[in-house]
Amino acid sequence: MKSSVIVAAAAVGALAVAGCGGSSSSSGGGSSASGTTKSCVASVGMEGPLTGPVAVLGQEQLHFAQLAVAKDDLANKTRITIVQGDTQLNPAQATTVTQQLTSNSKVVAVVGPAGSQEVEAIGPLMARAGMPFISGSATAAALTTGKYPTFFRTVSNDSVQGPQDAHYIINNLHPKALMIVDDQEAYSTGLVAAMMPIFKAAGIKVDHESVSQKLTDFSSLVAKITPATTVVVLPWQVASNAQQFGRNIAQEHKKAVIFGTDGLFSPGTFSINGSYVSSFGPDITAIPADAAIAAAAKAKYGNFGTFGPPVFAAQHVIDEAIASVCKSGQTPSRANVLAAIKNTNEATTILGQPIKFTSSGDVVNGKFFLFKIDSTGKYNLIPG
Amino acid sequence: MSLDSPPPPAGPPPAGPQVGADEWVARQARRREYLPSWLGHAQRQAERVGWWPRLALVGLAAAALPLIGLGGFQLQVGIDALVIALLAVGLNITVGWTGLLDLGYVAFFGCGAYGFALVSSGQVGANGIHLPSYLSIPLVMLATAALGVLVGLPSRRLVGDYLAIITLFFGEAFVEFTNNVAPATLGGPNGIVGIDPISVFGYQITSNTGYYLLLVIVLVVTMAVLRLLEFSRTGRAWRAVREDPLAAGSMTIPVDRVKLMAFAFGAAVAALAGTIFAAQQISVFPTDFDTPILILIYAGLILGGAGSIAGAATGALLIMVIYDGLLRSPTDSGYLFYGLILLTLLVKLRPWRRLGLVLAATVALGFAVHAIATAISARAVAGSLSSTGWIGSALHDWVIVPANATVAGNWGFVALVCLLIALVQAGSRTRTILLPPTLYLAAFVWETRLSVEPAVTRQLMIGAILIVMMNARPQGLLGQRRVEAIT
Amino acid sequence: MGFFFQELVNGITTGALYALVALGFSMVYGVLKLLNFAHGDLYMIGAYVGFFVIQWFGGPSALSISVPLLLLIMFVLAGGLVGGLGVAIERFAYRPLRDAPRIAPLITAIGISFFLENAALLLFGAQFRVYNTADFISLSSGITIGSVTIDSVQIMVLVLGLLLTVGLRELVNRTKLGKQMRAVAADREAAEMMGINVNFTISATFFLGSALAGVAGVMGGLLFNQVTPTIGFIVGLKAFTAAVVGGIGSLPGAMLGGLLIGVAESMITGYISSTYTNLFVFALLIVVMLVRPSGLLGRAQLQKV
Repeated sequence: MKSSVIVAAAAVGALAVAGCGGSSSSSGGGSSASGTTKSCVASVGMEGPLTGPVAVLGQEQLHFAQLAVAKDDLANKTRITIVQGDTQLNPAQATTVTQQLTSNSKVVAVVGPAGSQEVEAIGPLMARAGMPFISGSATAAALTTGKYPTFFRTVSNDSVQGPQDAHYIINNLHPKALMIVDDQEAYSTGLVAAMMPIFKAAGIKVDHESVSQKLTDFSSLVAKITPATTVVVLPWQVASNAQQFGRNIAQEHKKAVIFGTDGLFSPGTFSINGSYVSSFGPDITAIPADAAIAAAAKAKYGNFGTFGPPVFAAQHVIDEAIASVCKSGQTPSRANVLAAIKNTNEATTILGQPIKFTSSGDVVNGKFFLFKIDSTGKYNLIPG
Repeated sequence: MSLDSPPPPAGPPPAGPQVGADEWVARQARRREYLPSWLGHAQRQAERVGWWPRLALVGLAAAALPLIGLGGFQLQVGIDALVIALLAVGLNITVGWTGLLDLGYVAFFGCGAYGFALVSSGQVGANGIHLPSYLSIPLVMLATAALGVLVGLPSRRLVGDYLAIITLFFGEAFVEFTNNVAPATLGGPNGIVGIDPISVFGYQITSNTGYYLLLVIVLVVTMAVLRLLEFSRTGRAWRAVREDPLAAGSMTIPVDRVKLMAFAFGAAVAALAGTIFAAQQISVFPTDFDTPILILIYAGLILGGAGSIAGAATGALLIMVIYDGLLRSPTDSGYLFYGLILLTLLVKLRPWRRLGLVLAATVALGFAVHAIATAISARAVAGSLSSTGWIGSALHDWVIVPANATVAGNWGFVALVCLLIALVQAGSRTRTILLPPTLYLAAFVWETRLSVEPAVTRQLMIGAILIVMMNARPQGLLGQRRVEAIT
Repeated sequence: MGFFFQELVNGITTGALYALVALGFSMVYGVLKLLNFAHGDLYMIGAYVGFFVIQWFGGPSALSISVPLLLLIMFVLAGGLVGGLGVAIERFAYRPLRDAPRIAPLITAIGISFFLENAALLLFGAQFRVYNTADFISLSSGITIGSVTIDSVQIMVLVLGLLLTVGLRELVNRTKLGKQMRAVAADREAAEMMGINVNFTISATFFLGSALAGVAGVMGGLLFNQVTPTIGFIVGLKAFTAAVVGGIGSLPGAMLGGLLIGVAESMITGYISSTYTNLFVFALLIVVMLVRPSGLLGRAQLQKV
């Protein structure tokens, strides 16, 4: 009976606090920046699946955003606070998070969200609030047709990568039959849709399968690989799933080669001998300039894949935009940060290529890198 | 024994056992359980007003909230909460009244949303279908109700948890279906975007304020209709079927048909919620209708009290305001954390002397630990508090935050959980001794770990709140205990 | 034909895993009539215990002890720790709700599931923890018959699953504790009146059921290699399904249900399409349930009037 008193009182307490909800939430970070010199203070929202089934993806993005802020704060003498928003890769939750971020007047830009569906859901809200947002993993081609004027991304879209990969497979791997497996996410189905017609036109027998990202047992799928099937295309987001797929291939003595895309790029996690990976980013562990970041990330959070670096780049673009606004003597606001992001012209980034945005928010001349994995698990760049 | 007799009037119970009713059962059924302490007083006072005026008052108050300046985020939380409340009120029909465990309920919500999306967007055909709302909403509700009957058909043969699993399949199948089947029409994982707004009497609702008001009105009207239904012939039949299908059947209640009606009504309410959700979001995606939403609906219904319309709505609103509103913001969730602890102590620790003792001991312990830690090594206090504002400055010299806060915080978390379990099992004296270290450890874990990971903490807190609240009041906030026949 | 048998072997292996989790689920249901939705998360904790044991002994490629000993330590430790956790959960969260409305513990279970999943996320991080089984148990150490390959991990899972099931059956049918469990399952109040220590019996049941989930977690880690805080959800759902389809509360039923689901998934993936696997499995199970409304091996309930 006593304990019920507590709960009831607690509930009322909760409601009372609810009254002063969102307004007080905006006084979160940054407010203690009453330094002696006029410092450059701003908050940046971060939307991603921080919990839930694909938390691995969102947490990696969050960690790289934090690394970028730590590094850029030092370099630019800014004080940038990250406001975390957990979407669980769910568009409805992304809407609520977006309302939270746009209601917070301190937030001048957003990194994320992770999924293309989420961008579709929140694009209009962001546009209405004039909030710039840069995704490091939303690749659907439809997002950058100009309908979301404040949207940018640091990765190239499916309509570029899909056909390019499909042609490489046809011309260099010469499969008679292949299996292509999507993982039921927008990223994956988008790439598959871009590749399928090209394979069909080349007269290749295609077995199109699909498995949920949450599944970790591929033995029954691998059993379906016929002797004629020499290539398995896995446009997946989760590298360790592909590693397990590769193990199942070895276990059932099949001969097919895995051709993966971005998500599979994860030295240390995906290391099946003879596989190909096409990625929007280079191996950041192999770029001398990035070695420090890669080492810091690894020391702090363990192995990482390809989801972090593009978000690092996105966060970096925002950090630089805020710094440039401050340098020009203004206080960072959504409008001037947006303008600064539009003028972004980074000669070198963590992704090994310059970042400059088209008017619709895509990266200008986004390059792709193709790697072949050798028996030691090392990623060797295929020139081309 | 006519079913048409009005509900027994409230008032002094007739003396002696009623004919045909088990005396004990009758007494149990009449007993009202109020909330504890002053909340109970408030509840008693509120009940004197009567159900209908109360609904009207609360509805008016809710509708007035945007006038006193709910911001964009609070308004969104309000909309989310109202949608879940509408769903919980609908779920109450099948689960609370008829006693059918329907784990596929969220699929009806999805059907409503997808149905509305298909007939109010450019998705189907060259120009799309753009039915006016006054046609599309009833149409979608009817279609979903029909689907509800279909899904409810197995309830003729299956009971209890066997029915639950079938409905769970249906719920899961809905997500699989929208994800994989007919991608040209349903959009696959990319969903359907660009959905028309709802228009009421020629007025298009495009703002969130509009949807908030619409939802308040719809919720109040739905609750009113369900209240009428609750004491109608059908409503009494539902409850009779819940208590004992066999007895109900022998009283000439058409058990199967009554169950199907419950499914149909529940589905229709869910579809209504779905149409508003789709129009407000302007887009629908398969993941919007997955298990997490189902869990929220159930949590709201059961926390509020299954079987009570007001309980379902209150529980859902409460859980959503905490989960979607407060816990999303690190600052508010800090207030909630420390506030809950203090409130618990205030209420639970009697006499006052004991409370004072524990608090003083905790404060002293903190300063002592901080002083000792500083003396031993500067690294032990090298980290910085993550709470800012007045909480941060109050705790500054009290909580130690070591340089490697993550590792220390993780161990602290494990120790805290162990201590809490020990605390629950311990006797009164041990408890008083254990309390100060537990309190200090709680503050330590919060500052080093929990407030650094607001997203994870949000889920942890909601889990803890669900466990504690159910333990404290198993029948739900406004629910009443009833005698259950365990089969 | 080789293809058929390959799919059959794959299905039975996965099914054995589901069955093991389902057994624990069904035991707990038997004594408390509680749908323990936190059961899958115990599986996840077990998988983490196994992972940390491997790390403790030097990591997969540089083990400091022999493989059989490692496996033994993994299974015993995972079983013991997760079993203990299960007992603590019952004591802390479920016992106060024993006489509550049947639907109340459902929400507590969901709360516990949230808590465990996110405590793991907080403590262990979100990244994939990888067993790398192939580094210490060679992929080619299994049996090959014609075109069908059964590797040694699969054999181990099958044998251990069978042993545990048989052992559990013996325990429930032959021992005094088993008798007490059955008595509590049949009628808790009557059992208490006959002098059975109900609290102890329920704790013991929770220990055994949770320990099975922990052991299954290690098996899952060895089979599928990867561990994250959220792997428990899907497995828990499958176990729930298996337990109900087999006839909830019936142990052989849970076993059969698990195998049925495993084989059905693998056959549908193999012969129809992986895209519709879940839809077809659901359809199949619905048909099974409509034909046998109390599950495959469940007894039709007699209604007291």
